Amino acid sequence: MTAPRSKKKHKLFLLTVGLLAWLIPGAGHFLIKEKKRALIISATIVLTFCAGLYVGSIGIINPVGAKPWYVAQIMNSPIVAVLGYWATKGYYPVFGRPNEIGQIYTSIAGLLNLLCIVNAVYLAHLHKIETAGD
Amino acid sequence: MSIISALVMATFTTPEKIGADPQSMLWLLPLVAAIAIVYKATKLPEIKAANFLKEAVILFGSIVVFMSITALVLCTFAWLVIE
Repeated sequence: MTAPRSKKKHKLFLLTVGLLAWLIPGAGHFLIKEKKRALIISATIVLTFCAGLYVGSIGIINPVGAKPWYVAQIMNSPIVAVLGYWATKGYYPVFGRPNEIGQIYTSIAGLLNLLCIVNAVYLAHLHKIETAGD
Repeated sequence: MSIISALVMATFTTPEKIGADPQSMLWLLPLVAAIAIVYKATKLPEIKAANFLKEAVILFGSIVVFMSITALVLCTFAWLVIE
């Protein structure tokens, strides 16, 4: 009876790692005690996202007119949804090159965070296998 | 709201002025650096400062060189078509 429960717990742990990695970039790696990786990932993704916002303003997060970009942007964190809600009110218009560069920066940051989420879950799974092997 | 927080808010609510000139292509460099750093942070089995930095710089250089070569080839192709 213990084996299925531990498997269930393991799945729950993987889910927690994935969710935490999405909530705060780098937090998934921090949870599995990969602190250096967590610090590097967190700093780089947050800086890239902020650079995008700095260049194009929060108007670049557009859940209505730029849905494909928004899907990539929301991979950064659920906080992006709040920014998107503010941006849809129309107070932050942005066009041309700043819009393009801002969208590219924030979307790439989101896709990099997706890579990190998958990596954190994979590493958490590997840790479990290694511990079972010991 | 303090002056500092108002300035921070203003930074993220007003777009920068960036022209569509060749210099604006330099904006790709910080992005390539971010990609190289995060990719290497996920791929290296162990993070050691010197090794990590070396690997990230190599990847950054490879991406920049490859993109430059691609741009050069495309420019040559466009020039041949136009001339």
